[in-house]
Amino acid sequence: MKNSRKILPFLLLLLFFTSCITQFLPQTNEDKEIIVIEGLITNKPGPNTIKLSKSLPLGGASAAKPLGGCSVSVTDNLSDSYSFTETTEGTYVSDSANFQGVIGRIYTLHILTNTSDNATRFDSYPVEMKPVPAIDSLYYVKQNIKESAEGDPLQQGCTVYLNTHDPSNSTKFYRWEYTETWEFQIPFSVPNNICYVTAGSDVINIKNTSSLGEDRVESYPVKFISNTSDRLNMGYSILVNQFSLSEDEYSYWEKLQNLSEQVGGLYDIVPSSIPSNVYCIDNPDAKVLGYFSVSACSSKRIFIKEYFAGLVDLYTNCADAKAPIGPVIPNLGVTVWIIGSHGPMDPYWILTYDKGCADCTVRGSTTPPDFWPTGK
Amino acid sequence: MKFKSLILILLFILSLNVKAQEKYDISVDLKDLTFKEFVSRAEKLLPVRFFYRDEWVSGLKMGDYSNCTTLSCILDNLFKGTSLHYIIEESGNIVITDKYAVNVSVAPVEKENNFMPPSDYAGSEGSQHTEGTASVDIGNPGEKNKTGNVTISGYIRNKDTQEPVSGVTIFVQKLTVGTISNDYGFYTLTLPRGIHFLQFSFIGMREKKISVSLFGSGELNVEMKSVLIPLKEAVISAQKNVTLQRFEVGAEKINIASFKLLPTSMGESDIIKSVLLIPGVQSVGEGSAGFNVRGGSVDQNLILLYGAPIYNSSHFFGFFSAVNSDIIKDVTLYKGGIPGRYGGRISSVLDIGSKEGNRREFKGNIGVSPITAHVLLEGPIIKDTLTYILTARTTYSNWIFGLIKDPSLQKSKASFYDINGKITYDLDKNNKIDFSVYTSHDSFRFNSDTIYSYNNNIFSLNWRHYFNSRFFSSFSINNSSYNYNISSRYLATEAFVLSHKINSTGLKADFNWFLGRNEINFGLDLTRYAVNPGSYLPYSDSSLVKPHILDKERALETAIFIEDKFQLTDFLSLNIGLRMSSYFSFGPHSVMLYNPEYSKSKSTIIDTLYFKPGALTSKYAGPELRVSLNFRLSDKNSFKINYNRTRQYLHLLTNSTSISPTDTWKLCDYYLKPQIGDQIAAGFYEMLFKNSFEASAELYYKRISNMVDFKGGTHFIMDDNIEKDIVNVRGKAYGLELVLKKTEGKIRYSIGYTYSRTFVKSISNFSEEMINSGKWFPANFDKPNDLVVTLNYIFSRRFSFSANYIWSTGRPITYPVATYHMYDDLLVDYSDRNKYRIPDYSRLDISLNLKGNLRSHRTAHPDWTFSVYNLLGRQNVYSIYFKREGDLYNGYKLSVFGRAIPSVTLSFDF
Repeated sequence: MKNSRKILPFLLLLLFFTSCITQFLPQTNEDKEIIVIEGLITNKPGPNTIKLSKSLPLGGASAAKPLGGCSVSVTDNLSDSYSFTETTEGTYVSDSANFQGVIGRIYTLHILTNTSDNATRFDSYPVEMKPVPAIDSLYYVKQNIKESAEGDPLQQGCTVYLNTHDPSNSTKFYRWEYTETWEFQIPFSVPNNICYVTAGSDVINIKNTSSLGEDRVESYPVKFISNTSDRLNMGYSILVNQFSLSEDEYSYWEKLQNLSEQVGGLYDIVPSSIPSNVYCIDNPDAKVLGYFSVSACSSKRIFIKEYFAGLVDLYTNCADAKAPIGPVIPNLGVTVWIIGSHGPMDPYWILTYDKGCADCTVRGSTTPPDFWPTGK
Repeated sequence: MKFKSLILILLFILSLNVKAQEKYDISVDLKDLTFKEFVSRAEKLLPVRFFYRDEWVSGLKMGDYSNCTTLSCILDNLFKGTSLHYIIEESGNIVITDKYAVNVSVAPVEKENNFMPPSDYAGSEGSQHTEGTASVDIGNPGEKNKTGNVTISGYIRNKDTQEPVSGVTIFVQKLTVGTISNDYGFYTLTLPRGIHFLQFSFIGMREKKISVSLFGSGELNVEMKSVLIPLKEAVISAQKNVTLQRFEVGAEKINIASFKLLPTSMGESDIIKSVLLIPGVQSVGEGSAGFNVRGGSVDQNLILLYGAPIYNSSHFFGFFSAVNSDIIKDVTLYKGGIPGRYGGRISSVLDIGSKEGNRREFKGNIGVSPITAHVLLEGPIIKDTLTYILTARTTYSNWIFGLIKDPSLQKSKASFYDINGKITYDLDKNNKIDFSVYTSHDSFRFNSDTIYSYNNNIFSLNWRHYFNSRFFSSFSINNSSYNYNISSRYLATEAFVLSHKINSTGLKADFNWFLGRNEINFGLDLTRYAVNPGSYLPYSDSSLVKPHILDKERALETAIFIEDKFQLTDFLSLNIGLRMSSYFSFGPHSVMLYNPEYSKSKSTIIDTLYFKPGALTSKYAGPELRVSLNFRLSDKNSFKINYNRTRQYLHLLTNSTSISPTDTWKLCDYYLKPQIGDQIAAGFYEMLFKNSFEASAELYYKRISNMVDFKGGTHFIMDDNIEKDIVNVRGKAYGLELVLKKTEGKIRYSIGYTYSRTFVKSISNFSEEMINSGKWFPANFDKPNDLVVTLNYIFSRRFSFSANYIWSTGRPITYPVATYHMYDDLLVDYSDRNKYRIPDYSRLDISLNLKGNLRSHRTAHPDWTFSVYNLLGRQNVYSIYFKREGDLYNGYKLSVFGRAIPSVTLSFDF
């Protein structure tokens, strides 16, 4: 229950007149790198992926630091072993011809790292692949983020909701992961003008129905899309994968969720590292982050193509300099790009320092994905 | 006439032996004379002089007093129906007083030379050591040549209200012998035959000195008078010698008068906040609920009101105490040396002494502050026999929300109230009954969809029976409950009501027996607990929520105790107590059995044990030894040493840094063992500079076993099998508390410094159940350095100034130290528990108290208090929290009282 977290803003409210908040970066002295396991095995055809990386210091770089050079394999309760091959650094992929998860089997992950000539072995606890019901429906509801008032225009966004149920009342613990894809257009006449961009889920979506009389999830808000991104401008699609969790795994994600939004307040739960289901065989005290998940998977995709009011134009600050440069476009090099020209008689070029304003491939790809509806 | 001279004369006459009033006959026709004309005539005719203030008598006309033959008869008639009183002194001075009577009549003598000495009324400063002296004979003067020790005993009462006064120090300076009156106001003292000079002192009361010629054993009942202007008794002055006398190491008594003058936050005097000024008492942070005593957690404090435990001691998450200070007479905090009669919590006892209604007249008080309003009414129903007192307090803080522009917050509401009532009935001299009720309520609605509310309720019936003057008993039955409800209607299909309740019924018999050098206290304590750990119900029919009610918990806690305070020699006394407590919990209850090879979790359940209704599910018992030794090294200093064992059969389950109102109480059961505390403490106490300074040093070491903590990140509301989330932890704490107090004069201050450490260690064979790999780590409230300075400066009887300054080390905190990526999500990892600390805490508060016009004929007496909280405007850290913003985790520092907060409180006595 997340109720207690509401208390802090409430107190702020009470002490509205006197409270103050300032940014604060704690001085800590920890520089250990901890192994992070992102592993998911499903019953879907296609390769399964285990990603290994190292943790990053707080407030530092936010790009992941992959952990390469490990040998990764999965065994099942029939004593079959499947090895994974490293495709890009830190990403280990199964051979889809050879391996596909089967409901009811129990899988164990094995990792052997090879960092600084010091091989360390990690194993997961055995995890059973549980069945998962289908997603009944996936739909979105348009909503007004801000009503129009006194010169402020109406602003609209939407929320994507999900309904599912398990007639056998046995799933109880759900997790969802989604992949968004959307089309966007740069409002200048540049060569790479329309692109498609894809992003993964960046929040934890879990639900426990064990307190309900029926194993039914109704109107679960999977994703809120605000007007401040360009997701709703041209066309948007979201694919939701539904997994069924064991209670242990549910509790892992719940703890992670409890501790990932806001921590440290007097009424927030005392934070701590959340133990993984993967442990180090050679050093039982070594910390391991992440989880080895095994679940059957059901999916559903929807498209959204509709007019939303008050969408924010991300390209208003593109033009940094407006300067006539002459009739010939010079070779501008790598720091300045042309995003337009002005005046047919006495042309001058509109320039930008942001390549993203001049080339949509900075964020996406010009080729629409296979599932993208054509002719629209 | 100047008021001051009136007082001086009053003082003078009080030192004389006043006798009959019938000396002056007057038989003149006085009809329709003004009082002044009457006075001048009387002064001519008779050898008398009148002392009064003109405005008191301006409207008075003499009537027909033809049936009077004495002056006192005339004055009696004249003053009937006015607020005026008079006294005729032997030398001929007639002093008129307004509002209060100077009652100097000699009380009738009961058996053996009982004596009720005159009460004193002087109001001026600095004279308190010379006034109020009386002389009494006790015993048969014929035995004056005998030698050996005899015992005097008696009751001490408040002159105005006739309430017994506990905690009065009775001291014989020459012999350096003394004692303290008990809860019944009873004291007993063994002295050699001869003439002794007894000092009676107590905070807020005029000190009294009685010269006793002691021929044999006997009784001496004393009435003490509250000081007219409690203002100047702002500091714990009468505690001098008390510290030397008390057996307990680490007992503190706070008088209401003293804490009412402490600077306030938002204008509310607050008992818990003044408790926090005592060395050895800490809290997680300002505005957090509860307090921590010598390394104990918040649930280890037994807070007693009307003899019943209060389960949640705060309103508004800890910004205000749940008990209105209007009802409080005094407060005793036992940090150690807990007497055998108290049990059930391991770290401390905070016994709130409540006021009884005024026995003589109706009185009231109304007060307003920026956040609350309160009212007090008290008075007799049957004079001197049946009295009542009623207080109520409520907040009107909702106006704050109206000021906020954000429409979602405008829908928020918060309010609280509390009501106290007590009826006291004296059946006869030896039987007294009182019935008390307390209720407190808090509710708040956040963003209009989730409503939180919580309540405390207490009923208490208490019968005191005095078998004889040396043997008393008290029987009480009380019921205390705490419950909270959270309801949400955000989603119709998931609308719910979540509630939790603890209810306890206590039965207590307590006997006090005074036997010469022994003071024996024994009795029986029974508590029945019923806990509804949680119920989760659909809010309405459209809700899909499946009703879920956790198994009710039922248990019985029993204890018998006996304690003897024994004066071994003149310089050595021993207090030895034993409390045998036992605990039984009963079915129906289902207990999950887990595979012992793994940490308990849902997946390691192997079997279920079912207990039938009434079947014993768990049983715990053990002795609790309480021993104190007091060595009186000289009349100026003493050394005390003390050992304490305490057992506690319930836990407050909390997984946040500070406790919150929605934490749940859990009784010991099949898995959860009782908390056991052991404390050893030693103290040295010294009076300095003619007793005007008091210095003390106390050292303690404490161990606590079977405390609970939680596996990282768990929420446990509505958890059927809480044992799987619990981590068993052990605590240890040690500290040194140094105090220097100036307890006399116009400027009084105290400086307290504490160095203390508190550590916790998890005990388990499984790594999931270990915090910081099973190593000792600092507790949430471990603040090694703590300095508290308080100052009171009494300018005059109308103005006083007080200030307090607090500085302490910042509390420990667990910081996020690393981030990592999983499925495109950015997550965060944390340091070892409590590895870091927030910045130091420091705060200065001041307050100025202004009594309105002191002129007595006013019907209402306004009392203004101007306070500034956090005068230096320091941005103390309330909390440091971390929020994910985009691809970054950002840390924020929140100061709730980030600048100086002024407040004004106005109250009226009527």
